[in-house]
Amino acid sequence: MSLVTGPGRASISASSLPTELQLSIAAHVKYIQTLDKRKDELEYHLTEHLRINGIYWGLCALHLLGHPEALDRDQVVDFVLSCQHENGGFGAAPGHDAHLLYTVSAVQVLALCDAMETLDERGKGDRSSLPGSTSSESGILGVGRYLAGLQNRRTGTFAGDEWGEEDTRFLYAGMLALSLLNKLHLVDVDLAVDHIISCANFDGGYGASPGAESHAMQVLVCLAALSVLGRLDAVSDKEKLGVWLSERQVDGGGLNGRPEKLEDVCYSWWVAASLSIIGKLHWIDEEKLTRYILECQDPEQGGIADRPGDMVDVFHTHFGIAGLSLLGYPDLVQVDAA
Amino acid sequence: MGRYEGNPVWDDVVPIPQEEGEGALAQIAYTDEYVEAMGYLRAVMAAKEHSPRVLDLTEHVISLNAAHYTVWLYRASTILALDIPIDKELEWMNEVALENQKNYQIWTHRQTLIDHIFPTLSSDPAAAQAFADAESAFMAEMFEEDAKNYHVWGHRQYIVRKFNLFDSDAELKSIEALLHEDVRNNSAWSHRFFLVFSNPAYTTAGSRATEHDPKIPDAMIDRELAFAQAAAHEAPQNQSAWEYIRGVLRKGGRELATLEGFAGEFVRIPEGGEEDIRSSHALDFLADAWSEKGELDKADMALRLLGEKYDRIRKNYWDWKRGLLRGAKV
Ligand SMILES: [Zn+2]
Repeated sequence: MSLVTGPGRASISASSLPTELQLSIAAHVKYIQTLDKRKDELEYHLTEHLRINGIYWGLCALHLLGHPEALDRDQVVDFVLSCQHENGGFGAAPGHDAHLLYTVSAVQVLALCDAMETLDERGKGDRSSLPGSTSSESGILGVGRYLAGLQNRRTGTFAGDEWGEEDTRFLYAGMLALSLLNKLHLVDVDLAVDHIISCANFDGGYGASPGAESHAMQVLVCLAALSVLGRLDAVSDKEKLGVWLSERQVDGGGLNGRPEKLEDVCYSWWVAASLSIIGKLHWIDEEKLTRYILECQDPEQGGIADRPGDMVDVFHTHFGIAGLSLLGYPDLVQVDAA
Repeated sequence: MGRYEGNPVWDDVVPIPQEEGEGALAQIAYTDEYVEAMGYLRAVMAAKEHSPRVLDLTEHVISLNAAHYTVWLYRASTILALDIPIDKELEWMNEVALENQKNYQIWTHRQTLIDHIFPTLSSDPAAAQAFADAESAFMAEMFEEDAKNYHVWGHRQYIVRKFNLFDSDAELKSIEALLHEDVRNNSAWSHRFFLVFSNPAYTTAGSRATEHDPKIPDAMIDRELAFAQAAAHEAPQNQSAWEYIRGVLRKGGRELATLEGFAGEFVRIPEGGEEDIRSSHALDFLADAWSEKGELDKADMALRLLGEKYDRIRKNYWDWKRGLLRGAKV
């Protein structure tokens, strides 16, 4: 999947705004389908380090649009498996180092394709050296062990790779993938929950690490991790958090990620999904947000941008559609906020 | 044969074909350069070569595509393997960071190298101080480009912890300078809270940002409140300052009502007349202070004003809060 931006631009000007804005479903499906046919563009190569994420974003958006068949399932699965390393982890593309974030995307794509068993059948993870596992489930176990090995057993959080950069994003990603693999027992869940609690800030939000500024994406990963782990009780003050989140909505209807920052479709998803997890989505003006996201689409060539007038890309296309699904937009498959 | 050479999964790397028109040639040259450099990078990585020429090669690849995480990891491992002094690397990294504001790999790289030299560095306090000063100076330069860069603030906390700068006057002063420039810089407020309320010299170890810490001296709470109150006067609608005030009060275990007079300076609601609200955050603050004191009718009036007039986009929230008040009344 190409991460190339364009060719479209979110192109509805305020003057031509129709009273009834519609999501251009067919255009978006076509836009995602053609992304991978743009290998002649420089940006295709420069974004190779995100390739597997791009596949996840594109495929997930297609599922929400009700067109999962628009990408060839076997090709997708083959590509994902070609990114795997002997240690069980996945890189962003063949030849890129294994990293937690790409491993999670790989697992998510396989889950979307209902192809998790291919890890056992054809995965590269070294299965022979795993004592105590039956050979039939060992490919999956290999991925689970790679992920579990990235947990810091002192603090509970996760590193992104063997170099140890830590971020609550990684904790969530690791937990999500382990739960999809049904291997949560390999990690210390209580320690991870404690770590998330220690990332809560005085303003009600969460940051990337203890003491780091509250940030909408970090809030979502903390909440989603707690949700996956069934530990939302660890959010001590849901009202304060809901207040901080709802304060992210600006007059135009979109949401920003931090005070005094610009609104953006991806932040709109992170904030709205967080509000939905704590049951407070109705604290923002949902109609205005729906309208904002629709203003960010290119209705002719497909794709969604970060804000009106900007170039579209698959990242914001995915988050825009996920946001609309969360808001109950008709004809979309219901998204899971966590 | 290298690990990547001849690997069929790399068949999809195709250079941009010749195109008509301006700029096409430059693009083609650039792509060829990148594709070629990557070919060599893959080859040296496969051979596990750690040599000075690998530093040149990785520098080249990073100059073409700083977001490529694998090349950073390989560069760090090469520097560690060669065990060379990192001064020049830091200088070079400063340039790359200034040119790539959104790049995060460079900060991991920087911390990997600082961790590596720290044991030696910390045995010489003067050298450690000089190093920390240089890091601060560089971050100040980064903040000139974007004073809210999340990665830079993350690095700042790393440096504060690593070099124990909690009591550093310069650190506090530099945050004040940033807030002087933009009193709405939420990142700077957040860092100030971290600096003041996790200082091991006078806080309870492990005290959460969201809880009362009885160990903190009253004078410190007073100082922080005065600072944030002055900022609220400067920009009454600045959410960051009001959040900070609430955060400090909670750290100090003080009630909101202790600042009722201060918040009241922003809100005038005469009997029967038109109200004058200079800050919706002040009105919100008063609503909580009043409900804390049991003055529920006043609190309800404030919440109604917020939902109907001063913060209409969140009307549902204000209505929900009014519902809580009604629940408290019966
Ligand atoms: Zn965005």
